[in-house]
Amino acid sequence: MSNWSAALELSGLDTDSAFQDTILAQFRESYDRMNSSPSTATPLQHAFEKRAADVKAPKSDINALILDYLTMEGYPKAAAKFCKEANLQPQQPDLSIQTRQDIQHAIHSGNIETAISSLNELDPELLDTDPDLHFSLLRLQLVELIRQCNGGDISPALDFATKKLAPRAATNRDFLNDLEQTMALIIFPHDTLQPELAALLSSDLRRTTATKVNEAVLLRQNRRREAAIRQLVRMRAWAETSARSKKKDLPESIGIGLNEDSMEYGESGHEPMITT
Amino acid sequence: MTNPYQQQHGSSSFTGSDPGGLPPLNVRRPSYASVVSGSNNNNNPAARAAAARSGAFSHILNPSPDADQQHAHDSSPYPTRYDGMSYTQLGGDDDAAAAGVLNRGGALWPPRPGSSFPYFSRAFDLYMSKDPLLAGDPAAAASSEDVRIPAPIPAPYISATGFLAPSYLRGTSYLQKLEERHHARLLAERDGGLGAGGAGSKAGPPAQSVGGIPSRLASNLPPGASSTHLPAVGTKVSGTAHRGVAYDVVEKTHFAGGSGGHHGIGGGGGGIGGEDEYGDAGAVSPLPSRWNRLDKEAALEVLGDGYEVRHTGRPTGDHEASAVRADHYMAPACGVYYFEVTVLNTRSDRVKTPPIAIGFASKEASISRAPGWEPDSWGYHGDDGNSFASQNVGKPYAEMYGVGDTVGCLVNFRLNHALFTKNGRELSIAFKDIPFKDVKGKLYPIVGLKKKEDHIMANFGQRPFMFDIDGYMKRQTSMIEDEIRAADTTQLVPGLSETEIIQQLVLQFLQHDGYVETARAFAEELHAEKSALRLEGEEPVQGINVRDDEDAHNRQRIRRAVLEGDIDSAMNYTRLHYPTVLKENLQVYFRLRCRKFIEMIRREAELNMLLEERRGAAARKPHQQADDNDEEMLDNGGGGDLDMSMTEDGGNGVAADAAGLSKLSQEALTYGMELRGEFRGDPRRETAKQLDEIFSLIAYPNPLRVKEVAHLLDGSGRVAVAEELNSAILMSLGKSSRAALENVYAQTAVLLEDLRQDGGDGAFVTLDSVVAGIPPSRVG
Repeated sequence: MSNWSAALELSGLDTDSAFQDTILAQFRESYDRMNSSPSTATPLQHAFEKRAADVKAPKSDINALILDYLTMEGYPKAAAKFCKEANLQPQQPDLSIQTRQDIQHAIHSGNIETAISSLNELDPELLDTDPDLHFSLLRLQLVELIRQCNGGDISPALDFATKKLAPRAATNRDFLNDLEQTMALIIFPHDTLQPELAALLSSDLRRTTATKVNEAVLLRQNRRREAAIRQLVRMRAWAETSARSKKKDLPESIGIGLNEDSMEYGESGHEPMITT
Repeated sequence: MTNPYQQQHGSSSFTGSDPGGLPPLNVRRPSYASVVSGSNNNNNPAARAAAARSGAFSHILNPSPDADQQHAHDSSPYPTRYDGMSYTQLGGDDDAAAAGVLNRGGALWPPRPGSSFPYFSRAFDLYMSKDPLLAGDPAAAASSEDVRIPAPIPAPYISATGFLAPSYLRGTSYLQKLEERHHARLLAERDGGLGAGGAGSKAGPPAQSVGGIPSRLASNLPPGASSTHLPAVGTKVSGTAHRGVAYDVVEKTHFAGGSGGHHGIGGGGGGIGGEDEYGDAGAVSPLPSRWNRLDKEAALEVLGDGYEVRHTGRPTGDHEASAVRADHYMAPACGVYYFEVTVLNTRSDRVKTPPIAIGFASKEASISRAPGWEPDSWGYHGDDGNSFASQNVGKPYAEMYGVGDTVGCLVNFRLNHALFTKNGRELSIAFKDIPFKDVKGKLYPIVGLKKKEDHIMANFGQRPFMFDIDGYMKRQTSMIEDEIRAADTTQLVPGLSETEIIQQLVLQFLQHDGYVETARAFAEELHAEKSALRLEGEEPVQGINVRDDEDAHNRQRIRRAVLEGDIDSAMNYTRLHYPTVLKENLQVYFRLRCRKFIEMIRREAELNMLLEERRGAAARKPHQQADDNDEEMLDNGGGGDLDMSMTEDGGNGVAADAAGLSKLSQEALTYGMELRGEFRGDPRRETAKQLDEIFSLIAYPNPLRVKEVAHLLDGSGRVAVAEELNSAILMSLGKSSRAALENVYAQTAVLLEDLRQDGGDGAFVTLDSVVAGIPPSRVG
């Protein structure tokens, strides 16, 4: 996509709407070729595409993957609706999915204390048996405290670090490194941080910590850590890399057809896709 | 390095039979098994007669391919009773089946005081206890003097229908494919039972399936072996009893006439010409399952079920050794192939480490030379512990092995190497960087013997191995699973993280397939998640725009109608909103029409069931009800018309419903005629086939109770029709018939298939394993 806009810039043409339409049509054509939609004439279909088109993806499997995902990753409302619409039995009780979602939500919003107490309520032994996980949560809590004091009074953060984190860090080299790194956030101004320190302040840390907690809960409940759809997507990526390294006969690129609907947005008056 | 075989050649006793050399084990060992088996029905004359008949028939039907072998055998000191059975006269796999019959019927061996036992019965003794093998143990021999009934060789990993499923290959795509083919063949045979069975009963010896011996061979037939038995769908109206009979007959056919073209002598089952190296793509070669009687050096004799091989001592001229290959090759698509060989008792000279070689070789390699000496042949020799890689100069590899030892041969096609095991212990890698690609043809398990009475037994996975091959396989698999877990998914859709890709895949699927409510709920939950993650000062999160389009709603309504079995409404909605779809997709139209018929039959059948229950209840209830009639009446008030009618005469309500039922039947019949009329001219085979199939439902008073057809009425059929219709509508709208998630699934399937071809990584993982990890739904 960025190639197209680069081309536009190079050609020095005004991107008036008519021209954009032309480009859009061209793009669509090449896209169709890539995605072997059976409804379109595809004269240059690669053998791989033909074979893939012949594979039946059993609806029951796909539905199971979807319900599993909604259940495991904690989307209780969608899971319940899907059971109704697709005529499936729930995989887990609503309440269990909701509880995990609540905990994840608390972590996502930075309310670590709430998350820890909900977690202790749900599974009192979990944090005791998993010091790694416990430390991750406390460390995120420290980051949140530092974020809150942003240039102001740092004593709550210091106090928390001394009381809660320092005793644990003393016993574990990795914990100590993490703590030291986090404490650096107190000293340096947040707008000129090195990338690795800045990363601590991004929402990614909340997301990954929440995922870790969810996986730990799931593992103790069901002996399964993550949704099967993740395995599928990774298997797809791995298999392509592996097949290419073995010099199997594959098309130059294998699109998964995810953007098809976005294209439709473009048609229905939204911003077309060809924007940087 | 000198060649031990050559050194010994001069001194070896290739002097024909040795009347005095009756192995002590012949007397001693069978008894062990018989003790274990505990059976003593050896006085059953019927069984004995049956066995004799079996032998006689097979003798006539299958002239012996190696009659000379038979002569050699005649001169041997072994009991004549064995020759009477004449199972060696059968060809290829067939004789193994016959032997299977003999083996299973432990009754077949009459008591013959003072005489010895069929030597193949030794095999299972080894399995029961290994100790007695180790040279003469007079105590053991004495204790077993009177008990003589051999038990069959246990083969727990061969199913009742004859499918071989070695433990370590379970869950692999290779075995799945074999199993699918096996079941398809069983079904095809069942359907074609009448015709094929008739022929079979004329040609085949009836005694071959004494005791209901399952068709062990089924799994070993080459693809297309049963293609001649075309299903005769029209004959389906008969009841289950008939079906059972047909099934039996077909099994017989298999042993005798039916499979003759492929596995009889003429067809050369696993013949020397390498007929089972089918080149057609997509075909899956069966697993090696027994030693190949048609691919052995003449001095060797394959015994019993085909697991054992014995050196007869027949002079071999200048031959340096005598080898035998297995019936099928080791398919690289297995990823790992493993088999074990146990060295049974040998000659009277009690050499502990006789010249025995175990390995694998192509069909090109001579069977008159020891495995490992020839090009495209690899072997591990017991008498010096050397390994030979396609040349007659060996390398010191591991310890020697001999009588009582079990040696396993493991070929790892993924890592291009092979190793051996001894008594369950993994030895080092014997052959590295095996040039599998340069081998001419395929590689077969092979074993080489040299001296008279040398005797081995193989385990091709029909029972547990000594070596923990399952654990080995698991380690291979988990190595690959680790790779997959660490895979970088960001290349799939540039710019999106794995979590984002998955969120979009799910959302797009929900929209694509018309799960409107779910899509909206999911979008809301995603939005809430993103908003929670938003840090102060960041831009507010934009809502996800779930299209609220008319199409999605229409498609959803149509889907729901189909799922509820209301085909008329579904077709009406479709005509209303998508007028061209049913006209342009005749197949979908046909499926809908058929489904309507099925739904009619289903309603009728359900009502029928209900009636039966009521009749049953009416028959049971009157006594009890007469007593507390008044009370019941009060309790029920005016609403209990069912109970009331039954207390009155036990039949009125039933009669009324029965009238409704016959109306339903009438309607179904009328509709059925109409349907047949409409599609009479359709040239497609499937159309006629499907019509035949659904019309067969009429033949049963209650098809819901008939296992063979009940699946046609199953609700899952609705799902299939609903999805087909949905796809047709999507395509008419110019949209992809598949959601991106389905593309991911299909592409992964094809990529894995490619990675599997030469036994690469793909052999160790399957898509099924991903879905299988999902726990079954349970009610919350």
